[in-house]
Amino acid sequence: MKFKLIIIFFIIFVSKNLYSDETSEWLKREIDIILQAYKNQNLSNENRFLLVEKTINNNFAGTGIAKFVAGEAWKKSDKNNKKIYIDNFKRHLALNIASMMQGYSDQTYELTKSKYDKKNQVTLIDMEIFSDTGSVVVTWRVKESKDRFFVIDLIVADISLVVTKRSEFNSMLKKVEYDLSKFNEVLFDQNQVSYLKIIE
Amino acid sequence: MSKKIIFLFFLFFNLLSCNVIATEADQVNTDSEDFETTTIEDEIYDPFEPVNRAIFSFNNVADRIVLEPIAKGYKKLPSPLQSGINNFLSNLRAPLVIVNQLLQGQGENAVQSSGRFIVNSTVGVFGLFDVAEKIGLEEKEEDYGQTLATWGVGDGFYIVLPLFGPSNLRDTSGMVLTMLTDPINAYAVSEGEAWLVPMRTAVNAVDTRSQIIDEVNALRDNSVDYYAAVRSSYYQNRKAAINNVDDSELTPLPLISIEFE
Repeated sequence: MKFKLIIIFFIIFVSKNLYSDETSEWLKREIDIILQAYKNQNLSNENRFLLVEKTINNNFAGTGIAKFVAGEAWKKSDKNNKKIYIDNFKRHLALNIASMMQGYSDQTYELTKSKYDKKNQVTLIDMEIFSDTGSVVVTWRVKESKDRFFVIDLIVADISLVVTKRSEFNSMLKKVEYDLSKFNEVLFDQNQVSYLKIIE
Repeated sequence: MSKKIIFLFFLFFNLLSCNVIATEADQVNTDSEDFETTTIEDEIYDPFEPVNRAIFSFNNVADRIVLEPIAKGYKKLPSPLQSGINNFLSNLRAPLVIVNQLLQGQGENAVQSSGRFIVNSTVGVFGLFDVAEKIGLEEKEEDYGQTLATWGVGDGFYIVLPLFGPSNLRDTSGMVLTMLTDPINAYAVSEGEAWLVPMRTAVNAVDTRSQIIDEVNALRDNSVDYYAAVRSSYYQNRKAAINNVDDSELTPLPLISIEFE
């Protein structure tokens, strides 16, 4: 009986570790695609952004994050405005991440820690980015669905991108009385400004 | 003597008002359907938002015109020089970090920080080199704001300080306490070198800003409401510092559903 328990425990332990490793490998592959885009000097700023945007859209739980970030306004809105909002939000997310990458200058990184949070079924992966003056740790929160991995949040210096966006959007949504159609206009305009800055 | 009494009265009043107002701040409702925990706040208690926004705009302009260009220039200095300045400033903060660790009952951390201070001030040439880190004495920051929070003092309302940026009533009180009790500043003033105090603050600001140039620009250029984004970031960062969160697993998890279109 004791032996059986040990075997079961061992299998669970090993499978969870393998799962974390698999998630880390997937994340590394996707991060490298983005970094390659920044290393490739032949790419124009616009093409570089479009490549980054495609990678982010493929790997982030964009729709789920958009819904969470909209909070109250989501429930009140109609299908068409929700669809427009999701498209706007996905571009907004890509622009935010691409903007953070603007200062990339061949820094090295290492995925230092991977942990499976069984309770929430989320894998947390720590990524340490090294520069000449020190290092910074970014934590990726990854969830699996239908045999695919999706990033659900990014934490830099204890600040969650998703929580910050929710607070920021909530403040703006309040000004437009939680009307998603009006908010779409604001978000679209902001995206235009950010996009021009990225491709200039 | 009377000045001392006024100061103590001010401090007492401040702490008391923090507690009273904090009760209101904690009453902000979150949507239970969307959250795994109720510790994420959608709204931060910000009764002086219009005034704060005005000060924030002023700070933003000051940052663009003065701080950011200087920070960018500083960033061009040789990396060892930047590290040296950063280490030196961090070492100057160490005595107060130790005091706050003791006030929070973190005896082990206080011993470790004392060891760091001694090693870096001597072997590390007045703190220019972080030798302590290499021998396993890790840096841990603590301030009066964190200490007051540990003692149960609530956040109080959100406040944007001219030039100093985002804060709240409790952390502002902490900042005042830091200014009043910092032994390095006190020594500089007693030696007739009071100019060193604002100089140290300014260099600290430039050093800190230089480390987050891209992050700040990304936030500023892509926010639909930059003020709200900074406010949220400030609270998340402080909450993690107060709880001494080293593990991101402890950061509140937003419930995100995976949806396929």
